[in-house]
Amino acid sequence: MRSLDQIFEHSSRSLAQRTSRRSLLASLGQLLTGAALLPLLPIDRAGRAYAAEGKAKADSPQSCEYWKYCAIDGFLCSCCGGTSSSCPPGAAPSPITWIGTCHNPGDGRDYIVSYNDCCGKTSCGNCECNRNEREKPMYRPSRNNDLNWCMANADSNYHCSVSVILGVAEK
Amino acid sequence: MQRAPLLIAAALCLSAGAATQAAPAPLAAEKLTVETLPPQSPHWVYVFDAAFDNEIDQRVHLYDGDSYRRLGQIDAGFTPGFNLSPDGTKSVIATTYYSRGSRGTRTDVVEFTDNTTLAPAGEIVLPNKRVMTSPNIFSVAYSADGHFVYAAYVTPAASFGVLDPVQKKVLGEIDTAGCVLVIPSGPNRVSSLCESGRLLTVTLTNDGHESARAMSEPFFDADKDPVFVQGIPTDQGYVFLSFLGEVHAIDFSGAQPVFAPVWSLVSAEEKGHWRPGAEQVGALHRKLGRLYVPMHAGGEGTHKDGGTEIWVFDMATHKRLARWPVHAGGLANVMAIQVSQDAAPIVFAATATADVAVMDALTGHVKHIEKHLGQTPWMMLNP
Repeated sequence: MRSLDQIFEHSSRSLAQRTSRRSLLASLGQLLTGAALLPLLPIDRAGRAYAAEGKAKADSPQSCEYWKYCAIDGFLCSCCGGTSSSCPPGAAPSPITWIGTCHNPGDGRDYIVSYNDCCGKTSCGNCECNRNEREKPMYRPSRNNDLNWCMANADSNYHCSVSVILGVAEK
Repeated sequence: MQRAPLLIAAALCLSAGAATQAAPAPLAAEKLTVETLPPQSPHWVYVFDAAFDNEIDQRVHLYDGDSYRRLGQIDAGFTPGFNLSPDGTKSVIATTYYSRGSRGTRTDVVEFTDNTTLAPAGEIVLPNKRVMTSPNIFSVAYSADGHFVYAAYVTPAASFGVLDPVQKKVLGEIDTAGCVLVIPSGPNRVSSLCESGRLLTVTLTNDGHESARAMSEPFFDADKDPVFVQGIPTDQGYVFLSFLGEVHAIDFSGAQPVFAPVWSLVSAEEKGHWRPGAEQVGALHRKLGRLYVPMHAGGEGTHKDGGTEIWVFDMATHKRLARWPVHAGGLANVMAIQVSQDAAPIVFAATATADVAVMDALTGHVKHIEKHLGQTPWMMLNP
């Protein structure tokens, strides 16, 4: 399976370690611009370390066990006035994010998802969820959920996290 | 007629009781004062509370492992980095504030605290680039001689700031070509962890500018077995643990890092089943050479689940000396661990339910459990 996150990883890795910061920024800028139709880069936040509260059912977007949340780290926006793919009223989506692949047992497919943070308000504090399938430390930012991905927002405070389907992962 | 003597006796008892109860002197008037700290103790621990439910209000609690008392607090703002000066007399916090509390103009700043009084001791305003991440000792750090402070930047482009903690100013910014965090060594070297598994080491001039840089050989593979970024200080450098339990001891005392032969916390049978996992994944008593690691049984993706046991290793022989199950002692999974460096050492173990256990570091005996030492105590440092 060659998924979008793998493609991004390899490109960002070679960029990061073979080019200057200025050219890295230029490239990131191109990536951000080019990805306007997709939620961007690597994402999520400073997180808690055990699987969560959430509400009981694994097929509920308000449950930490929901399939789309396989590497999310933070408060579920669906418990904070948003949904699994929308920010609560008055919060702002992070323009940068990190991307992972989660398996949907409902249809047997793997999906590429982006974990965006919703920003500009303080911690929601409800439905904390920390899952780490294929999560990596912050030297691989495209797969790291400890970083606050609101970092580049005009208002970089962290509120909650979403998981947005980008497409089916290629087998 | 026979009642009269009884009534008289009862009345006498009542009057005698009233006489003795009426006597207490009033409490003296009190004078409001400010407590002073006792002399620094090796059994103090600085407990970093990430206050995850309200992250703009994180803090560090100073706790005494002998008296089992909180001694005071240092405020820490939003997703801060925290560290101590080499002599333990100062705390440094790299943090972010917003002009309207939770929103508004962002100010990134490094703040110093006098650890003898817990009073603020100056600040340096940073460019708004500071790394915002989980607690670790490499977000902000002093040079070994205290001459520089380094602050890691991630925007997400990676670099670091070089600061003068005496003159309280930013001396410059060093690009790290995608490598992250500030691992200090010697008076003027900073290493950063790279996705390629290498260490980038930048050497600085006396005025904080880059004089040289070098990239090491890879020492881990981020695809197969990444290392945690939470380094464990040794006399010559740091130990980094991998997700699968490999121990990478790195000597940073020379111009370039030197990698010791890798050894494993787990047997061949245990590999992939038992693994380290926590927010702060290990602590080392440097003189005794004892390494303490929160371990749990779990597969891929459980590297932040916390330890159901603390495993104790001898760094010289690589032998496991003990396994200390924590649930039996009334503790939840261990999320952070620290050990004092004195001859009667104690282990501090912070749990997923925010308790901090004080344990005999030689036997594992739980001496005390401090309940709810903050919300999410995810890192502990000691002088």
